[in-house]
Amino acid sequence: MSKIINSGGDEAEFAKPLYVPIKRRSFFMYAGATAGATALLLSGCSDDDDNGVTPAGMVNLGAGDVGVLNFAYALEQLEAAFYARVKASPASDFSATEKDYFVQVAAHEAIHRDFFKAAINRDAPGKIIQDLTPVFDTIDFTKRASVLSAARTFEDLGVQAYNGAGKYLKTPAYLVIAGQIVSVEARHAAYVRDLISNGSFADDSIIDPITGLDKALEPTAVIAAAQGFIKEKLDATNVGK
Amino acid sequence: MNILKLLADLAAVDPDSYERISGRRGVLASLGQTGRRAVAAAVPLAFGAVLQKAYGRQSATVLDTFTLALTLEYLESEFYKQALASSMTFPGNTRSVIQLIAKHEQEHVSFLQATLTASGAVIPAKPKFDFTGSKNGTAPALYPAVFQDFGTFLKVAQLLEDTGVRAYKGQVDVLITENDLLEAALRIHAVEARHAAHIRGMRRALKANVRYWISAKDEVITTPNVTDAVYAGENIDKQLLPDLVTFFPTPTTQILTGTKEQVAISLGEAFDEPMTAAAASSIASLFIYA
Repeated sequence: MSKIINSGGDEAEFAKPLYVPIKRRSFFMYAGATAGATALLLSGCSDDDDNGVTPAGMVNLGAGDVGVLNFAYALEQLEAAFYARVKASPASDFSATEKDYFVQVAAHEAIHRDFFKAAINRDAPGKIIQDLTPVFDTIDFTKRASVLSAARTFEDLGVQAYNGAGKYLKTPAYLVIAGQIVSVEARHAAYVRDLISNGSFADDSIIDPITGLDKALEPTAVIAAAQGFIKEKLDATNVGK
Repeated sequence: MNILKLLADLAAVDPDSYERISGRRGVLASLGQTGRRAVAAAVPLAFGAVLQKAYGRQSATVLDTFTLALTLEYLESEFYKQALASSMTFPGNTRSVIQLIAKHEQEHVSFLQATLTASGAVIPAKPKFDFTGSKNGTAPALYPAVFQDFGTFLKVAQLLEDTGVRAYKGQVDVLITENDLLEAALRIHAVEARHAAHIRGMRRALKANVRYWISAKDEVITTPNVTDAVYAGENIDKQLLPDLVTFFPTPTTQILTGTKEQVAISLGEAFDEPMTAAAASSIASLFIYA
């Protein structure tokens, strides 16, 4: 199973995350022709899927609700690490107000991260993924523009991730919690976008201009987009399955 | 359909909603997979089919949710439409921003109407709105200058947007087995949150003491026993999980350095809270007179 996303971290994959779910969908269309065999294959994998780390060194987010929680935990680890850096050494061209705001955002993301850690450890002991190692080489933390651009990427991706993963949650309380977090991420996204260009909080690049809907991304597409910022290879193949 | 009666009905059934949802879940369990194959272009039609099945099986909960959502979108859409049609002065780039928000709200109205139509449900007529809150001059106005004073307009806008965010959040568990409906609701919900944040930013530009996210540090703009439901219970600093035992943060959770007060404020900000259909209905009713 893990071979499916071996290419997840390379530049080409990062550049076109939107293609990923289509590829997966067509894979399952073909698989559907032999549905019985596929079901056996998936259930045969389930023992491995539940492990935090596969023998290949890949971090498997897992299946079912726990997979979704680990998926969210991975993203919140990334965001929390990013804003912790911003808070610790803010770009010199940030205003005092902006510095203060990013201290607030850093607190929110640290809380989200710790929330998922506590929730997974309580409700699925032994299933939590490891601490991830962020890779922020492409971000110039000394420059406001670079920090804001990265922040926009993380916040919009976070919104799209929760929008796309909510349907995989089976436990109502976790779905509500995901809703409680995603709207805060959307508020962050709007704030950061307005700092970059006032009025771009919900522009046509991010909101469908016909339906007025925000975007939703499948977990594998989200991880493909985030993989470039994380050292460990993540496998989201079974999230919510 | 009489919208005021509908809102009253929603408020009346709310205490039983958990039971209704639970019962519904068993009935609809087999429908859970059908929606996932829907293609984007056919979305309202595919949604409608699911909605119709839910309705046809004498469980109107999903339909209730979409009707409440449409009512709130009518409310927001009409609010911005009337503001843009008024003689109020929009400073700087704010007119184009409000036009964008108004466009999104109208798109949400159309999307929800299409979903209801595809389900065979009767689309509730748009109620009559009075955003001064005077019920068309039959009661004292809550916001007499809503379309004359830009600051008042933004205050009401913030109340409506934050209500929308909370109301959609309060309905997600009703939609938990209807994947496509849930995803659509979440996608609208996020747009409302972006709107709310920007409106809050516009108020900041007018020197209001308010953050982009709902905070205990925000200046109070609600009226006791009238609009205070908008933020009631918003700034709690603990979260409950399935067994309803307060568990986060635990006494040993290492979250943040900072004073106890700062940590409590951050905890309140980090999670937006859901609102019941009853609360959302009562807030909407303040601006509906027929």
